[in-house]
Amino acid sequence: MMFPNRGKRGSFSSTGLKGLFPGLTYVEGASLLHHLHPLVKLVLLICFTLAVFTSPSWQGGLVLFCLLLLSYRMGGLGPGFFVRKLRFIFIFGLMILLVQILWTREGYLLWQLDLGRLHLAVWSGGLCDGLGVVLRFINVIGSSYLFVATTDPNRLAYALMKAGLPYRAGFMLITAMRFIPLFRLELALVKNAQMAKGIELEGLSPRLLIRVVKYLLVPLVVSALSKVDFLTMSMESRAFGLYPTRSYVSAQALSGKDKIALVSIPLGLLLFYCIFS
Amino acid sequence: MAKPVVSIVDLSFTYRGSEIPALNKVDLQVNPGEFLTITGASGCGKSTLVLCVAGFIPYAFPGKMEGLVQVLGKDTKDYPAGGLSGIVGLVQQDPEAQLCTLRVSDEVAFGPENLCMPPEEINERVDFALEAVGAAKLRNRQIHTLSGGEKQRVAIASVLAMKPLLVVLDEPTASLDPRCTREVLEVLNRLRREQPLSIIVVEHRLEKLLPITDRLVTMEKGKITADRAPGDYRKTYIPPRMCLPEQMCFGDTGGSSAVPEPRQNRPILSVENLRVGYEDGDVLAAVNFDLYPGETVAVMGDNGSGKTTLVSALLGMVKPREGRVLYKGTDITGLKVTRRARDMGLTFQNPNHQLFESTVFKEASLPSFFLSDKPAGETERVVDTLLERFELLEYRQKNPFTLSLGEKKRLTLVSVLAYTPEILILDEPLVGQDRKRLHLLLQALREHAGQGGLTLMVCHEPALAASHCRRILFLDNGRLVVYAGVQEAWRELARLGREEYLPPGYLPAVKENGDRNDVS
Repeated sequence: MMFPNRGKRGSFSSTGLKGLFPGLTYVEGASLLHHLHPLVKLVLLICFTLAVFTSPSWQGGLVLFCLLLLSYRMGGLGPGFFVRKLRFIFIFGLMILLVQILWTREGYLLWQLDLGRLHLAVWSGGLCDGLGVVLRFINVIGSSYLFVATTDPNRLAYALMKAGLPYRAGFMLITAMRFIPLFRLELALVKNAQMAKGIELEGLSPRLLIRVVKYLLVPLVVSALSKVDFLTMSMESRAFGLYPTRSYVSAQALSGKDKIALVSIPLGLLLFYCIFS
Repeated sequence: MAKPVVSIVDLSFTYRGSEIPALNKVDLQVNPGEFLTITGASGCGKSTLVLCVAGFIPYAFPGKMEGLVQVLGKDTKDYPAGGLSGIVGLVQQDPEAQLCTLRVSDEVAFGPENLCMPPEEINERVDFALEAVGAAKLRNRQIHTLSGGEKQRVAIASVLAMKPLLVVLDEPTASLDPRCTREVLEVLNRLRREQPLSIIVVEHRLEKLLPITDRLVTMEKGKITADRAPGDYRKTYIPPRMCLPEQMCFGDTGGSSAVPEPRQNRPILSVENLRVGYEDGDVLAAVNFDLYPGETVAVMGDNGSGKTTLVSALLGMVKPREGRVLYKGTDITGLKVTRRARDMGLTFQNPNHQLFESTVFKEASLPSFFLSDKPAGETERVVDTLLERFELLEYRQKNPFTLSLGEKKRLTLVSVLAYTPEILILDEPLVGQDRKRLHLLLQALREHAGQGGLTLMVCHEPALAASHCRRILFLDNGRLVVYAGVQEAWRELARLGREEYLPPGYLPAVKENGDRNDVS
């Protein structure tokens, strides 16, 4: 379609969270990882994170990193996606590695450079420690991101409620997901409306920042409160909060693949722990 | 005779903090299976009345309530807010704000789930409700991908899934374009015919609703002033010229057919080959038009057709990917919004997006402060004159957020008129106005045109465009498909099959003309 403006609002919605937290968003897909039950994935994420923190060596970290790359591939995202979305994490990891290398002087000397008063040296202990820390950092962030990218937040919220999370808290999460993109749209409207009144809101300066807060906050809060009024009435008129519990129409039962993953992956990670600890 | 579904006796209600009662000794009965329409000017108490029926007053809105409201013989005072869910269903005007989940099936199942029903029964109800509103194919869609009309149909389905005996709809088409409005009204008509429901609709756009209404109740200042069959609705709050086919006099204002000759005048605003887009593609393309001093031009089209983007591009709020905007022949495409705003005064559809100041006077003066060179004393005098003219002077020191929608709309117009820009760009400026205030606003627009100003008015009322505009710009999916004088625009819209944008009673005449044209 040449003019996809009918779905403009929709596309705004789908990129809403992305705008707030760059890169941190669910990516629709039909892979095995996408189909796994959200709570199973949550358990697997916890197991993986435990494995990352209990692995003392950089070799263990490298094995987990390879597993992670494999998981990204299974999630239909591919290593390219991993590198693209987490490039900031890689840059940050490189800085950690450099600091570790420059500060740790253990093991044997690998390389040195004398520049008069500046003496640079790389020791084997520093390199190993640095790699270990960086891989730990990347593995934890990367696995959390994989969870977010392959887990429908709506399905996760319903799964958590079915697992015992109070439904009022669960619907706080769902309504937030529903309304944050709307408020982003409202913010753009309010900004335009205020600029049309001659109020300069473009550019970068502390004075302008104060002006932006002053002129955008009030209309945005008023608009949000009005939406909250509508939403509250709409939910209450459909018996929300009338009973202490509620039922759920979606079954979300564990599939065979869920059960296999739930048993095999923690066992595999336990084996990994035995080998590398 | 069957027991009434709703029985209201001597009902009065005054909101806390207000001295004027929103409802004053109201008596009303709604019978089983009846389709009742309640109308009246903004602030007449019609929304308060439906909140009483739905059981949200007095518990959710503090105030003093007297009298009796019974639904199926149950006194609403005995039930907390939402306690009547399953008996009364409430659909509100903003389709966006009343849906709370991310998927259509979850939304429709939401109510039955809250009633702790077993999943099998919930599934049956979801199927029934979606079928009843003709939305079965939307079942697995994400809410954010739906159009306004689809969202409103899902909202109605989510209420029907509770199997209520009474459905109350508060201005269900207020924020919808004519196409979505028709969609929702068809659903209401279908429900009326097929479901054993009583329906109350609060609405001020009556022309398409009246054919399916059994009773029309008119309210004024908290009282019911008329309760009758819908045959005679001349005294409603829509001026006859805007809704009565027999009084439509095309071109009799001298405007509709009198488009100025381009050779005689220099355009005040021109758009050349405008192409605008966002990250996911073009929203407007190949838009060209010239507008002349003294014109009032209607901008029409479905929601999402590019009207807002066009307005935003004129003011520079979005940068075009291609093309130019010219003001009096000078290219202003590169100018900042705040610079263009000196010559182009814009009011938004939702006035809440514009209001900011603590008093009505400060709000009305704010654009003049930034955009006008007039001395402060002069601005104050002009603003006060305009506030008086638009019947807002009594609220001069009040907080603008406490005003009604119609008053807020008038206030945003006053704030723009106060600094006298040559071009007015108004997004649905006449919403929420009663007949008297409507004439005030239209008179102001006529004066603006008389002084050589241009008014570009985003408008969903074909009758209004017919009687008060010279030309129509009609956008469809990002293309300017109609750019013509009013008479020619109707013919073109009829040819394109967009009957919902034709004034009531116009279509047959167009067909005749079309036939004649075909023969010739």
